[in-house]
Amino acid sequence: MTADQRFGYMDHARQALGVAAIPVYWLADTPARISGSLEEVFVSRAELLDENARLREELMLSRQRFQFAESLAVENDRLLALQNASALLEDEVLPAEIVNVSPDPFSRRVLIDKGERDGAFEGQAVLEANGLMGQVVQVMPFSSWVLLITDASHVTPVEVIRNGERALARGSPDGDAELDLEFVIPSQDIEVGDSLISSGMGQVYPKNYPVAEVISVRRSSREPYAAVRARPMAQIRSTRHVMLVLEAAAPDYPVLADETDSVADGESGLASADSAN
Amino acid sequence: MVGSALLNILIATSFMAAALLAIVPMPEWATYFRPEWIALAVVYWVIRNPERVGIGVAWIVGIMADALTGSLFGLHALGLALVAWLALRLRLRLRLFGVFRQASVVLVIVGLQLLLSQWLRILFDLPRGTEMTFLAPALTSALFWPLAWMLLDRFVRLLDLN
Repeated sequence: MTADQRFGYMDHARQALGVAAIPVYWLADTPARISGSLEEVFVSRAELLDENARLREELMLSRQRFQFAESLAVENDRLLALQNASALLEDEVLPAEIVNVSPDPFSRRVLIDKGERDGAFEGQAVLEANGLMGQVVQVMPFSSWVLLITDASHVTPVEVIRNGERALARGSPDGDAELDLEFVIPSQDIEVGDSLISSGMGQVYPKNYPVAEVISVRRSSREPYAAVRARPMAQIRSTRHVMLVLEAAAPDYPVLADETDSVADGESGLASADSAN
Repeated sequence: MVGSALLNILIATSFMAAALLAIVPMPEWATYFRPEWIALAVVYWVIRNPERVGIGVAWIVGIMADALTGSLFGLHALGLALVAWLALRLRLRLRLFGVFRQASVVLVIVGLQLLLSQWLRILFDLPRGTEMTFLAPALTSALFWPLAWMLLDRFVRLLDLN
């Protein structure tokens, strides 16, 4: 066991057995798949129409928001260029499907259907339509395990949208699929309803993805830290479709002096700043 | 007596089925009470056929289970080896017990397996339950033992007739 945990001697065995395990997972997933397809078959016309109308509305709203966001992004790029900082890259994503959840009730992990062959790698960020989901921790040839942000051993660096206060969000130990913000001193300005986004610190997660919303803050004069609870934005329990971020996030700090001369000529400077990481 | 090849297939199939039950997705609250199906299969076969299923087989099945659940290698293997050892020691008595008295022994055996697993989780700093929640599967395992016993017995009898 120590050989596995500390030195990774078992990686090859794990990969081989991982391939052998795929049919078993496929079988175990069958009931869920069948019930899913049955639901698709036996859906009423009215429901379909309803859903269609709702989706159309959502699409329109998203388009409008997207237009706005695009102009903001351009403006942001220009401002960043003025400051000699590299622009934020748009992240390329690879869609994946969740095929199983960890049977261990104390660890929050899911198995996805993309592995080494599809370009998944350890430490890769995983997103869901509504927000950050977790990171890849174990890659097998055709599948990989994703550690969710709600796992008690997982910490996500976050910041508050409203004022940029930074914090660390750890998965709550009691299995509520919520996050606890660690080491928040009582004077820090975090309130119920605040949106938390990934801060990009630690270089694992790309910057600026929605992570969670604060649902409770308890400050007590006897405790050194405030107890802050947050609920993840991602539909962690119900979703089946996730996205793997392919590109590593661009550095979000100003490029240092010795690199600035190459940054001046645009694209190539960006590339070199990237490769320097 | 049952043909040996046929019996081997039955043993393998039962472990397969147990592994399936062990990873079938369930609602979240239910995962805390998921019976240790693989341990039940090990106990059954150790009582029924100790010359075929012993500590070694339990260990190998455990390694498979570790690979399947993506847990640290050895977590299930050590637990199931302990289950097999305990069942081997108690085998002669267990054969005489009625199925409900067996269930009470299964409660203790699976409980010890869970305790070992909890120790290992603490030792290797793996995710684990707070307080006594980790023992819940022992209760459900004991509850499902009569069902598992009757089901597997039915299959063994069926093969015996041929």
